[in-house]
Amino acid sequence: MIAKAWSAIVAHVACIAGFIALWEFCSSRGLLDPTFFGRPSGIIAFLWKGFFVDGKLWLEFGYTLLGAAMSFTAGSLAAVAVGLVFMMLPRVHRAAEPYLTLLNAMPRIALAPLFLLWFGLGLGSKVAVGFSLTFFIVLSATVAGIRSVNSDHLVLSKTLGATQGQVFFKVTLPSAIPVIFSGLRLGLIFALLGVVGAELIAAEHGLGQTLAYLQSTFSMDGVMGLLLLLALFGLSITTVMNGLERSFLDWQ
Amino acid sequence: MPSPLHHSEDRCADASQVANELKRTPQTWAEVVGLRDLTVRFNVGAGGSFLAVDRASLSLYAGEFVSLVGPSGCGKTTILNLLAGLLPSPPEGEVHVLGNFPTAGNPDIAYMLARDSLLPWRTALGNASYGMEIRGLPKAEREEKARTLLQRVGLGDFANHYPKALSHGMRQRCALARTFALESTVLLMDEPFGALDAQTKLQLEDVLMDLWSANQRTVVFVTHDLAEAVALCDRIIVMGARPGRIIADVAIDLPRPRHVRALQKDPKFHDYYARLWSLLEQGMDSHDR
Repeated sequence: MIAKAWSAIVAHVACIAGFIALWEFCSSRGLLDPTFFGRPSGIIAFLWKGFFVDGKLWLEFGYTLLGAAMSFTAGSLAAVAVGLVFMMLPRVHRAAEPYLTLLNAMPRIALAPLFLLWFGLGLGSKVAVGFSLTFFIVLSATVAGIRSVNSDHLVLSKTLGATQGQVFFKVTLPSAIPVIFSGLRLGLIFALLGVVGAELIAAEHGLGQTLAYLQSTFSMDGVMGLLLLLALFGLSITTVMNGLERSFLDWQ
Repeated sequence: MPSPLHHSEDRCADASQVANELKRTPQTWAEVVGLRDLTVRFNVGAGGSFLAVDRASLSLYAGEFVSLVGPSGCGKTTILNLLAGLLPSPPEGEVHVLGNFPTAGNPDIAYMLARDSLLPWRTALGNASYGMEIRGLPKAEREEKARTLLQRVGLGDFANHYPKALSHGMRQRCALARTFALESTVLLMDEPFGALDAQTKLQLEDVLMDLWSANQRTVVFVTHDLAEAVALCDRIIVMGARPGRIIADVAIDLPRPRHVRALQKDPKFHDYYARLWSLLEQGMDSHDR
């Protein structure tokens, strides 16, 4: 088993190394224009300089991270709260549903110019875009989770004489949590997407803003470096969330 | 038709003994569950209604194990749901469980569904404790009781397993532990072994007999498996369909304690089976003609 896992890791590393070497080779021989595609050595130099020489990337990364964390926290808390209200007041849910569907159907990134006007160039507008994405994803997961409750569990609890509170905390909530959790995992990725997207349009700080600047100055090593950074960051979010799910929801 | 009061002497002695243990007053122990001219109609929309149970009368006594058998649509599950307090509207006629109109959440009643309905996020122990937890028993007491019952149903080594790691049979054993952990006098069981394979079913029936004989409650057991009904019950209420009604009340005079697997070879068991089968067929014929 362990030997198999190691050989898989070695194979992955070999493939990635081969890809990087080929990229570097093509760039140095002029087969691939570094003005458009950057080159691995340039990307590494850019990230090294940004994080460890002048340290400027930390600030931009921090802004994006803070924006994503704020949108995620506010968006998911609001969504779970609204989901619970919907559960307790089905009539409110039915009345609100068409409006929510309409809002959710709107491409949220198109709202960014409006939010920039309302909330300014700083974090506020970024959080607003991230929130608008996270909220709907987590809300629909919460509603789906609450609906997924097994009717046998409700009948059993009813015959046992469970109060509404007992049914909620002992049956409805635990059975909704896995679905809500999947919503949270997606919500976190979308919070990051919303913040970076809004930064791309206009911002004072943040990875999106830096990305837009580097692109306009044809610094492809920088653009590629930041894309790599965002991809790795997204991957680590997913990995951490999967780990949390495995340890907290090990009954699944 | 045999009378509903078709009991041998020693069964009555048994019943009164159990009733004394339960500290019931004489009026209530005499009849634990009673139906008088019970009629249940369901609204089917557009002002129409469907007659699910037509003038059924029945008395169940303390410590009796009684089965309701019959084809689908005969109203057996309706009667069970009525006794569990799960019907949407009150029926016509009279019905009582220990002197009260049945309501959901009545601590005198424990209900076991056809599907195990274990909570997947709770271990076997947590599931066996669930009923006691809802009914407010202290933690230490319910855990001890749940462990004892898991032991009794053969899940002693699986207390910390989640349902996903248990087989169908083991899950239903756990549901039995949850049901028998309750102090309720009346157990309502809706085809609890209906989804199991024949072998597992026989094993579980023996587990049920063992649990029941240690602490004789009044059991109402809905099934469409005649062999199961004969093997487990003191009395079998045969029902006919459309409208759902009681067509026969047969006392099963097989010695206890019973071993369900051993009974499969007993000629008396097969006589009862054949007799009940013809009763069931009469019920179906009278309708089909």
